[in-house]
Amino acid sequence: MEPTDRETTPVSVRDRIWKAWLPGVAAVGALAALVAGSLRLRPTPRAAPPRPQPAGTPGPAGQAAAPAQPVRGLARTYAQSAVIGGAASPDRFLRSLTGIAFGAAELVYVLGDDEIRAFESRGIRVRSWRAPEHAGCLAAGPDGRVYVGSPDRVDIYDAGGAHVTGFTAGEKDKPADVTAVAVFGTDILVADASARIVRRFGLDGTPRGLIGNQNKTGGFILPNRSLDVGVDGRGVVYATDTGRHQVTAWALDGTPLGKFGKFGMSAPEDFVGCCNPVNLALTPDGKVVTGEKMVARVKVYEPDGTLLAVIGPEHFDPSTTHIHLAVDSRGRILAADPVRREVKIFSLNQSPQERDRP
Amino acid sequence: MSEKSTRRQFIEGSCRVLGLVTVGGAAGLLTQRTSANAVYQVDPFKCTTCDLCRTSCVLSHSAVKAVNDFEKCGYCMLCPAYMDVLSKPDERGIPTGKVCPQDALKRRVVGKVDAEDPNNNYYEYVVDEALCDGCGKCVKACMAPAGNGSLRLEIRYSRCVECNECAIQIACPDRAIVRVATPGMAPAGPAR
Amino acid sequence: MRNGWNLESARTRYLCLLLLVLAALASGVLSAQYQKKPPDFGGTYSFPTPTHPEPRADWVRTLDVAMLAAGLGLAAWIVLNRRSRDGTVLLSIGAIAYFGFYRKGCICPIGAIQNVTLSLADSRYMISFGVIAFFFLPLVATLLFGRVFCGGVCPLGAIQDLVLLRPVKVPEKLDRALGWLPYVYLGLAVWFAGWGLHLTLGTWQIQMGRRFLICEWDPFIGLFRVSGPFHMLAIGVAFIAGGMFVGRPYCRWLCPYGGLLAILSRVSWKKVEITPGKETDCGLCAGACPFGAIQHLRAEQASCLACARCYMSCPQELERRGIPAGDAALIQVQRP
Repeated sequence: MEPTDRETTPVSVRDRIWKAWLPGVAAVGALAALVAGSLRLRPTPRAAPPRPQPAGTPGPAGQAAAPAQPVRGLARTYAQSAVIGGAASPDRFLRSLTGIAFGAAELVYVLGDDEIRAFESRGIRVRSWRAPEHAGCLAAGPDGRVYVGSPDRVDIYDAGGAHVTGFTAGEKDKPADVTAVAVFGTDILVADASARIVRRFGLDGTPRGLIGNQNKTGGFILPNRSLDVGVDGRGVVYATDTGRHQVTAWALDGTPLGKFGKFGMSAPEDFVGCCNPVNLALTPDGKVVTGEKMVARVKVYEPDGTLLAVIGPEHFDPSTTHIHLAVDSRGRILAADPVRREVKIFSLNQSPQERDRP
Repeated sequence: MSEKSTRRQFIEGSCRVLGLVTVGGAAGLLTQRTSANAVYQVDPFKCTTCDLCRTSCVLSHSAVKAVNDFEKCGYCMLCPAYMDVLSKPDERGIPTGKVCPQDALKRRVVGKVDAEDPNNNYYEYVVDEALCDGCGKCVKACMAPAGNGSLRLEIRYSRCVECNECAIQIACPDRAIVRVATPGMAPAGPAR
Repeated sequence: MRNGWNLESARTRYLCLLLLVLAALASGVLSAQYQKKPPDFGGTYSFPTPTHPEPRADWVRTLDVAMLAAGLGLAAWIVLNRRSRDGTVLLSIGAIAYFGFYRKGCICPIGAIQNVTLSLADSRYMISFGVIAFFFLPLVATLLFGRVFCGGVCPLGAIQDLVLLRPVKVPEKLDRALGWLPYVYLGLAVWFAGWGLHLTLGTWQIQMGRRFLICEWDPFIGLFRVSGPFHMLAIGVAFIAGGMFVGRPYCRWLCPYGGLLAILSRVSWKKVEITPGKETDCGLCAGACPFGAIQHLRAEQASCLACARCYMSCPQELERRGIPAGDAALIQVQRP
């Protein structure tokens, strides 16, 4: 082979076009088409399956378990009559709503936005004061005092909002996690979710005993780390045993008095999910009001477990993990939704014939 | 001839020096803003368990696995991530169906054991990585409010080949795969 | 700042980092919500320690850079000094084993183009020192020694080089035309890595975020990982099959990094020289070169991939080593 062959022999323009430029352009065009075609085939990421709800909505079971229509055939029905602190209200809660209680002088005390606000029956705020740090629950006594629970202590305020006293709720080496407070006479009942027990204190904070340890596990089973407690007019203490899906009743000295409820996803009187009921309250006529999560609803029971009413999930946010409950002197149920940060008031329907109207 | 080669050599030499300076300068410039090594991780607060983690990874058995945060886990007997709460219950009322299609979520009873009434027991839930394929069904079932949200999907670095660009990140519709400079830790965020 | 590249205090750094993150978590949580404690189960239960396997340690990444530097130096020495084809083959096998199958081909200097582009385009993108080293070290080596990276270190090139059986001569004009493709690919890769594609043409719209095209369309990564989408594995096998008859198709006509190296190696300090001053125009070296890189009795630096085949076929070279010149043709047949 001679080097001169590779020297630039005169090449015609046509040769140059056909042998140099055209193949080059064709190659470049082919590559560009290949790249563009493959990219256009996937202009967006691979088609995802139907987009699930954002985090916070109930899991796969929740949607299916929600009853589509009001449960029929129950003894009572409730209808929403008012809202306190909702988005339209001048007293709306901006950051949090964590507790509710009904107290003397027909006042509703709501704990939220780091303060305690007292509302009268028409929803007008009467007074408010700053709550202790991390306060999560409250109760109101017949004397107008307000008992506010923070993670490891209870603080007591008088009717005007002045701090009276406070005490540590736990034991020396076992700090408490106070998730609910209730008052009966001279007893303050403190739900300690850390020890899984209800502690009984005197008004000055002296420990008087434990409620809820007289069972097989020495306490409640609380997978959701939250215990709610209430006491009826006769001094019977009710507490939520969420892991066992039961409402348990105890005497003030800790003697077990009974329980009702079981897990179930279909029957309306059963409690759904892994840990329910998450909240409870007592009506003046001794009925038990429970609040559930996953299927966010409020139910009213007889103390023996007979279901009286269901206030359906359409009133509450499906992602809520609590529905804080209180009942006023007229039997109206005050249900606080911490996600929507509003208190809905439900009144008992008087005429039974109305219950079947859609 | 020698003049030409000297000039050519000079041009070549100066181009070489220019090239070295450019390369070195660019390297120096980038080194100014270098940081620790970055790896890919799932942001559990953005993840919606869409199942693409299972199918998009370049590995046939995805490097994304479910992980249980024991501090948050409720140790429930009726774990909604373990058992399908809507399935047919047995005679004790406990659902018989399981959520995980691969049966990768294993449980054992812990603490003081009551053999008669399982409602009195606590159960520890652990994900078997060899079986888990990262589909996220258990994660979705554990999300609040049904559960405590202790299960989450995580890229396991013992399996991840650390691609330059994560294929799952491209596919994720929620931008939940993020690059983090902290090796091994999911990004901190608001509590669920 | 050369943050986090101090080997001795890697453990201290991890500890500090862990403490910082824990502190951030703690402060974030305390300010937001009271942290619930897990229940006391009774009995003798203790919480299992969750395992979070660490990603590859920093010292391993340093080792990668060190191996790259060592490989480049070794390649330069073998190709330019020892002028040995056997040595190049051995080095190529080692590169495939380490950078290919052990490190699963990632991170490679070819892909590092995208990381560098992205970090220049977006200052929030974190680029590590190892990636910078992977991008710039072969460039420096090329400026000094020519395309020795292609010759003995790049695993993608090594795979193609080792499967080459009977190279077919590609017409020169076609070769030249295809030689523009790497720059098109380079442009596309840089464009997509830095900015992505956002086009609106009438009613037709394409919105594509940043993508690492080189990584997505790497034909050989599926082979190194032994897993991947079917079409990539098929393309990889096709390149291997083609590479048995056409010398290094990816390296010559697609590799964007090769395009860069081709530009830089023109002004390299040390060049691949077969027998300078003693050329006999026998054409044996040009015949031996599978890449058509020997033009006018010289190795063209831009297209010479430093594979060291030409030495083995040059009678002058063999004579210098004491191998009878008559065996040159024999050797050429035996070692294509």
